Amino acid sequence: MSITYLEAIREAQAKLLRDDERVFIYGQDVGGAFGGAFKATKGLAKEFPGRVLNTPISEDAMVGTAIGAAIEGMRPIVEMQFADFSSVALNQILNNAGTHFWRTNMPVPITVRLPSGGTKGSGPFHSQSMESIYAHYPGLIVMTPATVEDAYTMLIEAVAIDDPVVYCEHKYLYYHLKADRLPTEGLPTGRARIAREGRDLTIVSYSAMVHEALAVAEHLAGEGFEIEVVDLRSVKPLDTDTVLASVARTGRLLCVGESFPWGGAAAEVIARVAAEGFHLLDAAPQRINAKDTPIPYHPNLWSTHRPNAKEIARKARALLRE
Amino acid sequence: MPQLGESIAEATIVDIKVKPGDEVADDQEIIEVETNKAVMGVTTPCKGKIAKVSVQLKETYPVGAVLGYVEASEADAARFAKQAPPPSLDVAEEIPARADEEVAPARQKRISTRDGDGARAGGLPVPVAAKGATFMSPRVRARMAELQLTTADLAGIMGTGAGNRVTIKDLENFMQKIENQTAHEASAIRSGVADAMRRSWTRPLSTIGSSVNLDPVLQNRRSRDPKPGPGLYALRALALALAETPGAAAKLIGNRVVQSNSMDVGIAVEAEDGIMVPVIRAADKTSLADLTAKYKELVDLGRQRRISPDMQAGGVATVSNFGTFGMEWGTPIPLPDQTLLLGLGAGKKVPSWDEEKKEFVPRTEAQITLSFDHRSIDGGGAGRLLKRVIELLEAPEQL
Repeated sequence: MSITYLEAIREAQAKLLRDDERVFIYGQDVGGAFGGAFKATKGLAKEFPGRVLNTPISEDAMVGTAIGAAIEGMRPIVEMQFADFSSVALNQILNNAGTHFWRTNMPVPITVRLPSGGTKGSGPFHSQSMESIYAHYPGLIVMTPATVEDAYTMLIEAVAIDDPVVYCEHKYLYYHLKADRLPTEGLPTGRARIAREGRDLTIVSYSAMVHEALAVAEHLAGEGFEIEVVDLRSVKPLDTDTVLASVARTGRLLCVGESFPWGGAAAEVIARVAAEGFHLLDAAPQRINAKDTPIPYHPNLWSTHRPNAKEIARKARALLRE
Repeated sequence: MPQLGESIAEATIVDIKVKPGDEVADDQEIIEVETNKAVMGVTTPCKGKIAKVSVQLKETYPVGAVLGYVEASEADAARFAKQAPPPSLDVAEEIPARADEEVAPARQKRISTRDGDGARAGGLPVPVAAKGATFMSPRVRARMAELQLTTADLAGIMGTGAGNRVTIKDLENFMQKIENQTAHEASAIRSGVADAMRRSWTRPLSTIGSSVNLDPVLQNRRSRDPKPGPGLYALRALALALAETPGAAAKLIGNRVVQSNSMDVGIAVEAEDGIMVPVIRAADKTSLADLTAKYKELVDLGRQRRISPDMQAGGVATVSNFGTFGMEWGTPIPLPDQTLLLGLGAGKKVPSWDEEKKEFVPRTEAQITLSFDHRSIDGGGAGRLLKRVIELLEAPEQL
């Protein structure tokens, strides 16, 4: 049996709908036979009538309604069709959902699913990675699963958590990433995973970039370098302890994130390591992000806009030579 | 560029023996490279024809860089093809082999020596972000602090980092090697002397010397009881000479010349595993007889290891009589807080030209050297001081 990242998300939602009557799915084109733009809810409307609901094309209204439902005791999962469109609902997510518990002592257990990242030809408004925006604001949890297993367990955990969760699922991984089976349990949110052990350099990453980093590590192993790859799993909370322990082992740090450079998760990791682990660094820490321009449409431009294994390998080699 | 040696990271091209189109044999030397250890040859991996030479003479390239291409038979090419690991995603094709990367020659950035070059940000001068052999990362510094190492200890480590700097791995490997050798804890005295000498050596030091006729001192000594050694005569002579020209013992601290009021001169006393240098205060005002008594006291204290740091502080100069070990001359190192060290060698009977008698006469001669901090005093000043010391030593009734 082989299950894709997308299927794991669908299975997790099926399990949630089955086990908890407070759960419902709310998004554009998620219901009926259509089952969502990426088929993440295919078949669920039929299996769980009245629990998978189509919304108008208004992200603001979608999240606002979900917040109201959550305050009344429900556990809504809001599917944004593309992460990029969630900016229309920024006020609802950051200010209403994010501050509600802090202001009123009443939790808002919503989960907002963001199909993130680019694919060839997806262009500036269908490719964004917005985890850094949401991580910046207090009151939100931001998940960035990189594996089929984490896609499954972390979505289930997202709904169980009483705080608003922004769940960033990567579009490129939907159909490309496969696993043999689904796990029954996983690491808790807030704990990073050592995807590959090493001793010469630490690459910290999350979501699709973890796989680019692993490819680079595999390649550089042939040149005699052992690269340690850390999968953050959640960008907020960020597992500083695991990152520091890894830098303690290797002395060199490269952070890779698919978001824009300014204030990205990579920058946050480096700021923490520089402040708390300065004495662990044998060379200046480095980061790779997407270019500081809107995301291009043309496939050739797009493939150089986002970080890729070639760029990561080049930077890793330079850092190893320092 | 092959791996040329354990700690070699890069090499410079000194000779290219082939050009594109040349036929070559297997294992034929085609390029000569120079490392900081030796000149070595780079040989062909197989028989074939030179297709391209990618490097330039006199440029430096890292180990692993592509130097050129040999057009070979299919069988040979197959032998060298590496098996790329299966990619987990459709991305590994993007990664070029290390060999394919265009490697720029490793060049040291030019550092401006003119003050004010680069941005002078109204406060600290801004250095060029140069990373050379002396760069120590925060990790290296932290580890050194932990192990109580100084930069002098790093002298024995070959750095493999950029610009040959010492990386944390180099440091850990070095410490590991030491673990495997017999080592014992250095005594406090040994560590103390090591630190003092390291600090002494941070200054530009120089030595001048001459010979002194010891017969007058030896003659003078006969009539004394207790008998002072030649070192004490030298100490007294130095103290008197300094009292005459106190400027010779002045210290340069920053841009100020600091003079001492009291001619406190130290004398080296051998202790169990190091030299102690207690200071005799106002040695110019202490008679030779009193100096002798004082010295005996200090030798006893030295044996009992009761010469405190206080007793060794505050002097302007020191006398070292290594003649007692049979050494004829030396270039001792002035103590870190002093600028002068007078060294007295062993006396020897030598023939000396007597201008009056127009013949060689026997005389007991010793080499006397003066080491000095060249920032505070130069050859002329040091020379005049030494000459006066010799004058006084050759007329010991003045001491």
